[in-house]
This record gives sequence, C-alpha cells and structure tokens, in this order.
Amino acid sequence: MSETARNRLMLAIALIMAAIYLFPLYWMYVTSLKSGSEMFANPPSFWPSSAQWQTFAFVWESRNMGRYLWNSTVIAFGSVALIAVLGTGCAYVLARYRNVWVDVGLFLILMLQVLPASLMVTPIFVGFTQVGLLDYPRLAVILAIAAKSMPFFVVLVRATFMAVPMELEEAALVDGNSRVGAFFNIVLPLARNGILVSAILIFMQAFGEFVYSKSMIQDVSLQPASVGLNSFMGPNTSEWNNIMAYATMYVTPILAIFVLLQRRIVSGLTSGALK
Amino acid sequence: MRRILSTVRDGRGFDIVLVGVPFAFLFALAGLPLIYNILMSFQEVDMFSLGSFIRPFVGIDNYVALFRQPETWPILTNTLIFVVGSIAGQFVIGFGLALFFWTNFPGASWLRGLFLVSWVMPGLVVGAIWNWILSGDFGVLNFFLRESGLIEGNIFWRSDPIFSLWAVVIANIWLGTSFNMILLSVGLSAIPGDLYEAAEMDGANGWQRFWTITLPMMRSTIGAIIALGLIFTLQQFDLFAAITDGGPNNSSNVAQYWAWDLSFRQYDFGRGATISVIMTVFVMFAAAVYVRSTRHEVRG
Repeated sequence: MSETARNRLMLAIALIMAAIYLFPLYWMYVTSLKSGSEMFANPPSFWPSSAQWQTFAFVWESRNMGRYLWNSTVIAFGSVALIAVLGTGCAYVLARYRNVWVDVGLFLILMLQVLPASLMVTPIFVGFTQVGLLDYPRLAVILAIAAKSMPFFVVLVRATFMAVPMELEEAALVDGNSRVGAFFNIVLPLARNGILVSAILIFMQAFGEFVYSKSMIQDVSLQPASVGLNSFMGPNTSEWNNIMAYATMYVTPILAIFVLLQRRIVSGLTSGALK
Repeated sequence: MRRILSTVRDGRGFDIVLVGVPFAFLFALAGLPLIYNILMSFQEVDMFSLGSFIRPFVGIDNYVALFRQPETWPILTNTLIFVVGSIAGQFVIGFGLALFFWTNFPGASWLRGLFLVSWVMPGLVVGAIWNWILSGDFGVLNFFLRESGLIEGNIFWRSDPIFSLWAVVIANIWLGTSFNMILLSVGLSAIPGDLYEAAEMDGANGWQRFWTITLPMMRSTIGAIIALGLIFTLQQFDLFAAITDGGPNNSSNVAQYWAWDLSFRQYDFGRGATISVIMTVFVMFAAAVYVRSTRHEVRG
C-alpha cells in the first residue's frame, strides 16, 4: 500500500471514530431542532424533518436565558480576573527560583488543586454564612471558584514562565530596570500567550461551574446558566427538544472558542498538566 | 518604611509579595475550610446552629453514627465501582485512541484535539445530553442496542437500580476519555523512535514491541494519568446532578454527591463534613501519588 493510500485510509478511520465520539454533541443539535412529536418517534430520525428554529427564541424568552448567561459571564469573568491577578505573580516566582521553599509551595499548590468542590462546599458555605459573605452570593461563588481553580492556573502559567529565558530579565536588570519594571516590561509580555490560553481555559471551566453556584446562590435572578439548566430538567421532564435548545445556546459559544483556539489550548494544557 | 518600599519595588520583597498574597488567599479560602471541615465533623451542625461559632461538641459521634447508617456501605461500594469503572473505561479507550493517532497521518493532531470538546463542555450540559441519550423508551442508545441485537427490551438506564450507576459511569467515560488520550499522546511522543527501529531489526513484532518498549517507557506517564483520573473521578458531581440525582433509592449515589446531599438537602452539615473529611483523605492520597510520579519534571 502506498503512503498516500495508507494516509487516506487512516484519516477515514479517524473521521469515523471522531464521528462516533462526537455523536452526543450531534444528537444535542439535532434534538433541539425537532418538533415535540418527532422527538419521540420510533425509530428515531437522525435528521429533523422540518427544523423548528423558533424553539430557540421560545426557550430564550421563557427560561429567561439572557439573565442566566449574564450571571454565568459575570461569575466567569470575576473568577478569571481574580485568578489572573493573583496567580500570574505566584507562577512567576515559582518558576524563577529553585529551592526547597519553591518545592514546598508547588507541593501545596498541587495538593489544593485536587480538592473536590462538592466536598469543600460544606465548610465554605458555613464559613461564608458566618462572615456574612452569602449576602453577596455571586462574589462568594467567585471567591470559591478562584480558590478552586487558581492552583491549576499557576501550574499552567508556571510552565510558560519556565520557557522565558532568565537572561533577558537579567539583561533588563543590568540596564537599570527595577524588578517591577523588568517583570512588567520584559517577562510578562513574553509570557502573554500562555497566560491568555490558561485564562481562557479557566474561563470555560468557571462558565460551566455548578456545585458552588447551586449551593450558595438562592436568589433565582442571580443564578448562572448551569443552575438554570438543572432546574429546567425536572425528574419526569419530556421537553427534551427545549432542554437541548437551552444546552445548545449555553454550550455553542464555548465550543466556538475552543475550536478556534484548539491548537493553543491543547498545547497549553499538555505542557502544564504533566510537566 | 522607605526600605520596605524599595525592597518591594526592587528586591526580595517583590517576590515575597507576589507569592505571599496568593498563598494567603489560598490559605483563607482552601486551607481554613479544610481545617474548619475537620472541626465541624466533631460538632453537631444543623440549620439552627449554622450561624454561631459555639456548637455542641459531640466527639466522634458523627463518625460512629455515619457507619451505623444502612446506606453508608452501599454508597462507598458505589463510589469504588464508579471510580474503577470510569478510570478503566477512560484509560483503555483513551490509550487505544492515543495509539491510533500516534501513527501520525495528515490531520491527526487536529482531529485528536477536537476530541477534547467533551472535556471543555460544562458538566451539566454533558449530563443533560446523556440523560436524553440514556432515556428508557425514547433513548437513542437503547435504539442502537436493539438494532444491533444486543438487547431484547429497553434498558431503563436511569430508573433501574441495577443500571443507574452505570448510566453515570458511561457518561463519565465519555467525558474523560479525551483528556486521557491527549495526555497519553504526549507520553507516547516522548518515546525515542530509534528504540522501535532497533527492536524491528531484531525481529520483534508489533505486539512484542508494545509490551517490551511502549508500556515500560510509559510507566510514569500511566501512573500520573491513573492518579489524575482518580482525582477527576472523585470530583465528578455535575453528572450525578444531571442524570440520576443519586437515585433510585441511592443505587447510584456516591460519597462526594452524598456529602453535598446531607449538607444541602438534609441540612445535616456535621455529617456532610464527616464524609468530606473521609473522602478528602482519599483524594490527598491520590494527589501524593500524582505528585510523586511527576516529581522529576516538577523539580526540573
């Protein structure tokens, strides 16, 4: 078999496997376009006979999705801003030095990275109640997410700073820059891409966050889209086309960002997670 | 005062501020809750004593009562099944895919990256989609299984106590496979190619090469990935909330979901904290294994 024929065959198999793997996603899009009766047809149809585009407008209006997505965005941006401001400097210091204190710091960071949110939410909720933070539920959720996701951000961004040659910073210091100046003018611009990709990853995680929001935000008008989706899915629901339309509107922006930046996200992720 | 300012601007103080503030933040919002959790597990905490700092101290009563509850052992067994089933599925499928994409044809790396969409989607959306796919009468998975002749009647994945846990396991395998695959691909690409050339010249077939080169060379990667898998599986919460809600009758309940359920549905925060403490010990153990297996890289 020639090289090109082999490559084509492999590509074809790969496409089939990707199609099987991504079928659930396809099923979400198809179901969201089906009518109420077509959805329950047996055998199921794999292409909507007449696409029901009005479902999206209906769900957007009736479920108040604009408000939910706005809350998700506020929470995600708040968490990312807090994490980026605090985490970047931390990652820089942990990348710049090699001594026993850095080892201890890294160990603590890795340990904090693994604590499940559903276990941490009990003490955080009780503690926040006592200090009165639950009066600002979105802020409370932002703080909780920041504590949960910052270690991951630090690990990823530290890998980026490791790739910035120290000599550049030293040269800037010799030229009379202060440490602050060298950090902001030399090191930070060089690590900009890695920081951005990590921030986007954190944003996508925070945009879909559920446990903290569900537990700490009682007021419906402040809840994010994940909690809205959860309350949409009652135990005996039959509105699957509407639910899938909700899911589509919720997830498509994230998927779009991911597909556009796929190469960078994947390489950023792999450089940090294992190294 | 001026000396302090100048060291912050241009000396050791700069590093200390950069690293000190985040660590103080993490201590306040992760370290303190961890300690507070242990304290609460020795107290009686309910709706009424929620706001006060002084609560009745009950010693190890919470722990004793917890293990006397009839549902405790089944739920812990479920947790074990969930963890082992999910990790095994994610790892085997992920490894298979990684080996396939390793053959490096044009478009391989782009397609491989595309798989990761399952991982970046919000867990609740993944759960909603699988809830619909796994539905009993109208679910598309039952349709495929019927058509291929694997089953006679429909399986009620979400409401049959025998299958409800496996419904979540299936969804979790789908969610985590891509992440496993990407990390395994990184490990595979780090194996030097001349090892295989040498083995091929010595007449080793593909199967022998896999067992004598690929697996031994991947040992530390595999260790790290299994530990990471354990960590991620014990964090899984959204799928339970979206697919089975722990039911029917706790048949698909796992420890991390139960801890939340006790605290936020039954308002027994003391007992919720008790399970949290027990599970945290397990997670810390997995984390220690993970850190150990990546130690060489961490120390640079």
